[in-house]
Amino acid sequence: MERVVTINLNGNSYQLEEPAYDALRAYMSRAEAALGQNPDKAEIVRDLEQAIADKCAARLSPGKTVVSAAEMTRVLEEMGPVEGEAEAGAQQQQQSSAGPQHEPWRPARRLYRIYSDGAWTGVSAGMAAYAGIDVAWVRVFWILSAIFTGGFTALIYLVLIFAVPVASTSEELAAAHGAPFNAQEVIDRAKREYGRFTESSGENWRREERRWRRSMRQQQRAWESSWGNASAQPAMAPAQPVGYAERMFAGLFAFVFSIITAALLIAFLIAFFSILSSGSIFGWTPPGDVPTWLVLVVLAIAYAAISSPFSALQRTSYATLSGRRTGGATDGLATLAIVILVGAFAWIYSPDARDFMEQGYVVIRDFVTYWDRHW
Amino acid sequence: MPVADEQFAGLRKGLLEFAILTFVSGRTSAYVGDILEALAPTPFATQEGTLYPLLSKLRREEFVDYQWVESGQGPPRKYYQLTDKGAGRLDELAAYWRHLTSTLESLGR
Repeated sequence: MERVVTINLNGNSYQLEEPAYDALRAYMSRAEAALGQNPDKAEIVRDLEQAIADKCAARLSPGKTVVSAAEMTRVLEEMGPVEGEAEAGAQQQQQSSAGPQHEPWRPARRLYRIYSDGAWTGVSAGMAAYAGIDVAWVRVFWILSAIFTGGFTALIYLVLIFAVPVASTSEELAAAHGAPFNAQEVIDRAKREYGRFTESSGENWRREERRWRRSMRQQQRAWESSWGNASAQPAMAPAQPVGYAERMFAGLFAFVFSIITAALLIAFLIAFFSILSSGSIFGWTPPGDVPTWLVLVVLAIAYAAISSPFSALQRTSYATLSGRRTGGATDGLATLAIVILVGAFAWIYSPDARDFMEQGYVVIRDFVTYWDRHW
Repeated sequence: MPVADEQFAGLRKGLLEFAILTFVSGRTSAYVGDILEALAPTPFATQEGTLYPLLSKLRREEFVDYQWVESGQGPPRKYYQLTDKGAGRLDELAAYWRHLTSTLESLGR
């Protein structure tokens, strides 16, 4: 499943899957480029839009309201390339040379994570695409280097998961491969993706689940987009996504703030349990006339006050990353994952941290004993 | 067949205008769907991407003209007719075509 974009084709609204929309937009911009200075350009573009709209309408029914990428591929194949005046007027020289008249726009090659090709996070797939090598080599590199450096490169991998943006649009996928972005490219990829979809649907529940999640988001997005685009021009570009650099920094910040919030959470829990079991926080004992419950309340308020700016920053970073306001689940899970990973690293590499964690175990054991005795 | 298709693409392309004018001349009016459908089984099979720019060029040169006609379903459609000037152009093309073929035949003798 894909995100859905609502567009206006010559006065009627149509819902397209996002790759279908990308393909259509590429086709139309190519058509406009081919028509160049043609005095009837606007009219021809309207005619073409109407023809595409008719073809889409023929593929839709009351029970099927979204044009898929594969269907758009077919529609655009039926339409055929739009030829400018020179070609249509039978200039055989241009025909025989058959070279591309317009150098296709080639975006800067960038490192992206590529979910669709990736096994887990898409980091390796993105690196392979960037370097133009097979993804298997990159995976072998990560595994071997993680073994030989004692897990140090695994930490780098973890940072990359956050810092490297996911390629989510066709343009970004093209940039990830450093490939020229044009209609044919989009159509080819749409075909490939469709093929993969039909092959693997039903086998891989993880992918299904991801699709389901995306479709939930997509419904919301479609609603917003149709709302915003209701009276917009035909084939208007969606709101500009956040740039590469912003997303990279947002990713790094998300990582850093996640670690900070995770550390604060751990500190809070340890303090909480140690107050209950031993009556002291990190070696400091509150004055005897202050009741335990009050210490706990003060502790909770202090934790909330200290951690809330960090978790707000963390949420903002995640929101920037994903381009929408996230619910608690995503960053909550990420925080949990980081707590576990950082904890594991600390356990392995820092004897102090190990002692501390063992004490933490003692703290919890004391708490359980305390609980048993008093309740 | 695909080889011949490939090789003579330029030739057919040059004659597409001729084919369209001929088709439109044979009826009172034709819309793009009719033209595409009629040409599909012929060597002149073409697509919207080619046809729309070509029709707009023919209209600009005043060989064809169109009228909006309401269709039963969907938006109104453009129905194209041959103009007098277009009929003249078609005669010229036909005459030139005969000249070309007869020249080719005479060259072979």
